[in-house]
Amino acid sequence: MGDILAVRDVSKVFGDVRAVDGVSFTVRRGTITGLLGRNGAGKTTTIRMITGIFMPDSGDIRWLGGGDGSGSSFRDRIGYLPEERGLYRQMKLVELLLFLAEIKGKRPADMRPKVDEWLERFELTEKRDAKVEELSKGNQQKVQLIGTLLHDPELIILDEPQSGLDPVNMVLVRNLLRDLRAEGKTILLSTHMMGEAEKMADEIILIHRGKVVLEGSLDHVRGAAGKNALHIDFDGDGAFLGALPQVKHAAIVSNSAEITLADGADPQQILEAAVGRLRIRRFELAVPSLEQIFIEKVGTETLSHEVAR
Amino acid sequence: MKKTLAIFKREYLAAVRKKMFIIMTFLMPLLMIGAFMVPTMLMEGGLGEKRVAVIDGTGQLGEAFKGPEKAEKSEMPMRRGRDIPQQMAVEYVAATGADADKAAKPYVARLGEKNGFDGVFVIPPDALTTETAKLKYYSRAATDFMTQGRLASRTNRYVQERRLASRGMTSADIEKLLTELTVQPVQISKSGEEKKGGVANFFVGFILVALLFIPSFIYGLETMRGIIQEKTDRVVEVLVSSVSAKQLLVGKVLGVAAVGLTQIGIWLTMAALAGGYFATAAKVGGDNSFQLLRASTFLYFIIFFLLSYMTYVCVYAIGGSVCNSEKEAQQLIMPITMTMMLPWFLMGPIITNPESKLAVGLSLAPVWGPLTMYVRTLVAEPPMWHVAVSIVVSLITISLFFWITAKIFRVGILSYGKRPTIPELWKWLKIA
Repeated sequence: MGDILAVRDVSKVFGDVRAVDGVSFTVRRGTITGLLGRNGAGKTTTIRMITGIFMPDSGDIRWLGGGDGSGSSFRDRIGYLPEERGLYRQMKLVELLLFLAEIKGKRPADMRPKVDEWLERFELTEKRDAKVEELSKGNQQKVQLIGTLLHDPELIILDEPQSGLDPVNMVLVRNLLRDLRAEGKTILLSTHMMGEAEKMADEIILIHRGKVVLEGSLDHVRGAAGKNALHIDFDGDGAFLGALPQVKHAAIVSNSAEITLADGADPQQILEAAVGRLRIRRFELAVPSLEQIFIEKVGTETLSHEVAR
Repeated sequence: MKKTLAIFKREYLAAVRKKMFIIMTFLMPLLMIGAFMVPTMLMEGGLGEKRVAVIDGTGQLGEAFKGPEKAEKSEMPMRRGRDIPQQMAVEYVAATGADADKAAKPYVARLGEKNGFDGVFVIPPDALTTETAKLKYYSRAATDFMTQGRLASRTNRYVQERRLASRGMTSADIEKLLTELTVQPVQISKSGEEKKGGVANFFVGFILVALLFIPSFIYGLETMRGIIQEKTDRVVEVLVSSVSAKQLLVGKVLGVAAVGLTQIGIWLTMAALAGGYFATAAKVGGDNSFQLLRASTFLYFIIFFLLSYMTYVCVYAIGGSVCNSEKEAQQLIMPITMTMMLPWFLMGPIITNPESKLAVGLSLAPVWGPLTMYVRTLVAEPPMWHVAVSIVVSLITISLFFWITAKIFRVGILSYGKRPTIPELWKWLKIA
């Protein structure tokens, strides 16, 4: 499986802010690629350049997926779910969906059966003649998602698809993405929720302050980090754990601690220090979570000074 | 092309299904009719009957106020077409020899009472003999100049008759002498053909011009609101990731133009039906409005409607793409609207004097051209090259506006921040 999309040295400046600063990565066909980073890291701007909403100031974006023979723009073969929902509120569901497919170059007549299929799949069939504004937020989100997928895109770009979804629908989306991958679609998933990315992504691209700080397959990224994560469950006051010299970073919540080891630190020494003061119930050395890798890479600084999108 | 069509279709259907469209379609003609009919109706009868006491110091003018019907008729040939008939109940008091002002006092005291008088009209005893005699009219409303004027003109007419009679003229001679002549307006076309004009022409002209210009503003505003709505609903992001800004703009503007044409089509059909009826009625009455409702009127209407429409819609589209809220846009667009409406404010002078420098100048200028030129083709026959120049100027203006709009649109529709300054707009224009 080759690459479907290449982003090469792309930059975008808004006023004084370099929102995206020399970003390069490729997206492999048939994968779920997670575009990760905090809010304001430059994810949305990067995506907007891929979808043609913004022109990059420099660098280029190449479609490597080949043509489909129709001579249409490769952007017709992208399905894009924006971060903030964008639907005509006054339109009826079916009409809106047909319109969204039509501006991707599809004939509405061909799309009707597909609309029905999708509405069925998302349990929206009985709402088909309702206006968008009459739907709940969660349902509007589903409509947006159908609009993204209806024209059968090869590359599906989702910007924070799970924001605003309830847990049930989150699972629905997660399963849907896996199904789509199984059908051979490529998915670029932008999220700030590392846990979600960890559950779904094959590849990850970590963006921080407009730059790619980490890129590769999830296994590779985690493997490279080594087994430097320590999970401890205990009884007692574990606050001192964060101050130990062997600990690089610790997240301590009541009776458990997620610890990132300092370079070359021996976890045995931490155990020794802990045994004297705490009652240990679990002590596990593990591959670090994405969250931990991320924090290790970029630190815990707040990013309030960065541009919001 | 397919995508532009999709945008076009959506815009059109969305607008035509709006309540606004349906309301406009039926309300506008009613408003139009109302605007012209209501004042007339009010003047004709709506004001109700006026009770007036006439205190005649000469005691000789009773004839003039004998009864509304007779007086009305005798007055007709003189005041035809100028005076608006108004019912008047006159209580005539011959105060011969007495002090007319004194005699009027009890009547004046009853002004405004329930069964009292709306006005008291006093004719001094020396009215027939002295040129400087003054008629007096007492009323609660100082602005009741119509009643006052009518009483004065009646009195004067009879005073004139009496004065002439006192010099030994027969009443038949007097009638002949005092008859005023009326004016028949005749418009000479270039082919030398004579056409009868009339007041009706003026009104039909006004209505057609209003039909030409009001939709431009209303749908211009609608376009602006639509664009802002798309921005606040964030639909624009989905749109721009699928179609180019140009496709979006072309589809949108043409969609809105089609809505306007649909509306105009409905109105013109209504107007043609109603106009045909009224023009027939007017023809019987002596005025010929058919000359205004000729084929070229409609041809020019469609041409200049489209030109003015496109010009305004482009301007409003820019407004919509640089603003983030409707309130903000209203403020920005207000002075621009006022400027664009200039020919409307000058409609009186333009209609009455379509070949003046002002009218010619405006009709050849960008933005103001379509409206002014249409008026000129309507009420006069401007040289063909004037019409051609006006159309070309408008087409250039529209292309230029369209180009600017497309550029600003591209950047503006995605900027959610504060409204750009002029230098920033300039920068937008320069980027691809």
